[in-house]
Amino acid sequence: MVETITPDVCGSRRRQAGALLFFALGALAASACVGAVLGLAGSRIDAWALPVAALFALVGAAREGGFTRLPLPQSRRQVPEPWRFTLPLPAWAAGYGAGLGLGFLTYQPVATFWVACAAAVALGRPLAGAVCFAAYGVGRSLLLFLPLRRGSDATAIVEELAGRRRGVLRVNAVALLACAALLTAPAAGAELIPLGPGSQFDPSAIGPAFAYTQRDLGVSSVVVLPSAGGALQYPEAESPSLDGELLAYQNAAGIRIVRWATGEEVARVDGATSKPALDWPWLAYRRKVPDRTLLELKDLTTGEVRRLGSVPGGADLGRPSIAAGRVAWHVAGSRGSRILLYEIANGDKQVVMATTIALLSNPSLSSTRILWIKQRQGISSAYVRKLRRTQIRLVARVSSQRTFYWTTDLYGLTAYVTRWTVAGGVARIRRIEL
Amino acid sequence: MVAAVAAEEAEAFHFCGHIFTTESCPSPFRLPRINRLGYPLRPRDGKPIDNLGRRVNGSGYPVDEAGVRMVGPDGRPLPKGPRTRICQDWVPERFHIDARIQGSWYRCCNDQIRKLVDCCSRSKRRINGDAALRGYCYAPRNVFCVMYYETGIPC
Repeated sequence: MVETITPDVCGSRRRQAGALLFFALGALAASACVGAVLGLAGSRIDAWALPVAALFALVGAAREGGFTRLPLPQSRRQVPEPWRFTLPLPAWAAGYGAGLGLGFLTYQPVATFWVACAAAVALGRPLAGAVCFAAYGVGRSLLLFLPLRRGSDATAIVEELAGRRRGVLRVNAVALLACAALLTAPAAGAELIPLGPGSQFDPSAIGPAFAYTQRDLGVSSVVVLPSAGGALQYPEAESPSLDGELLAYQNAAGIRIVRWATGEEVARVDGATSKPALDWPWLAYRRKVPDRTLLELKDLTTGEVRRLGSVPGGADLGRPSIAAGRVAWHVAGSRGSRILLYEIANGDKQVVMATTIALLSNPSLSSTRILWIKQRQGISSAYVRKLRRTQIRLVARVSSQRTFYWTTDLYGLTAYVTRWTVAGGVARIRRIEL
Repeated sequence: MVAAVAAEEAEAFHFCGHIFTTESCPSPFRLPRINRLGYPLRPRDGKPIDNLGRRVNGSGYPVDEAGVRMVGPDGRPLPKGPRTRICQDWVPERFHIDARIQGSWYRCCNDQIRKLVDCCSRSKRRINGDAALRGYCYAPRNVFCVMYYETGIPC
């Protein structure tokens, strides 16, 4: 096939260059499509795809290392020779490139291609899969450009590479072992934040600090972990919300806003209030009144209070999130659930998403994104979306009737998701890099 | 003669009583068990469940096996989650088609009469992806997916 593209005698240099170009385009497009399709397929399946990909890499490494004889799925067929005589140059050259760029229609000397396929599924991102697999198409094309650069016989170059097969296999085995290690590392998915015994939930993150509710033996407290210095604890408190040097939290009397480093009180909202979300001077929170739950937004400097929503007693109005002039919260009941977004500047309120069959809950906002939890049929998933786009990305998933996702937070490109287990009621916070 | 009229356990495609190829309607569990109004029930014991698969009490709040309200990690009782009808609510949202319960048939399963229910729509495709059949639906609707209701009547 190499001789076909770079003939010694037949065809001009211009024709040769054209064939190479179209071949490269075909290889790139086909390999990118494979990566995109695999990434798309992976976005719809569970997190078990990561350990499966790691297993593929281990098996591949064992094969390359000579510890096991495992046939690889492949096709040893040559490119269709008649195309060169029946189709125009751009068509057959691109066709040849596409055939090789697909990967599974050609000879596979090593297992890496199939490990890469498993990893693309595990990654679950079509665009990233397309970009990574496009590199495979580039590699396929480079082999044809080599003779041009070195002025050598193309066949001789291929045979030279084939002669170094043992070394290639050894290097490949090491590379696949490294892949297996990376795929099984905690950072490959949601990373558990080690915060000690008990339950931790209600994460709230800013640059210099991270806060959460700590619950031990039925008693809750708010813990603030500064990036420098020891942990600070606010007893008999829960549901923290950090904003710069300020911390809002709820206790038996209502909501307090303090400077978290010193404990100095800055403001308070008394009464049956809970679940504060602070972005000074705005504080969003829930207020219980007879037979209803209200969501209020208060300007702590002027005292202005806006009512953003209310639900009857049986429905759930969730923990709000506030960032960059917006407030998000969920409303859920037996007839369905929805995520709402309120723009502080103009008072616009919109339903970001709604469903009659799933439980949408615990949204978090950053300046550019929104994160939320979706639960249905024993599957709990965390999704993220850019505020000005419609494309949704799955960032974490757990399939279990006994384990669910709970409260969340979003800071920059880092998501925090609480995962709790019904048996024992233990909750842990996980960090996910977007 | 008694043996001849004795009810036999119905043969099954993917659940007892269902011998055609239409797949189950989407539901919290794999088996699409419903109550008489079309709301989901737990297949193994018929307890009412919400769309997350959690057992719920008469008011719709999640409860444990003892019937005590479940609490979240904060120690507070969990709020209600969605509990909606498999055919009339799940199918329209998942597949963007209008659906309703129409035809049904009866089989003897687990020594009691099971009512197998067609979820019918105007879609030309079944939930499986292949061509829809009329089944027990009223024209012009066809079967999209199937569910079942346990009557409790001995057979």
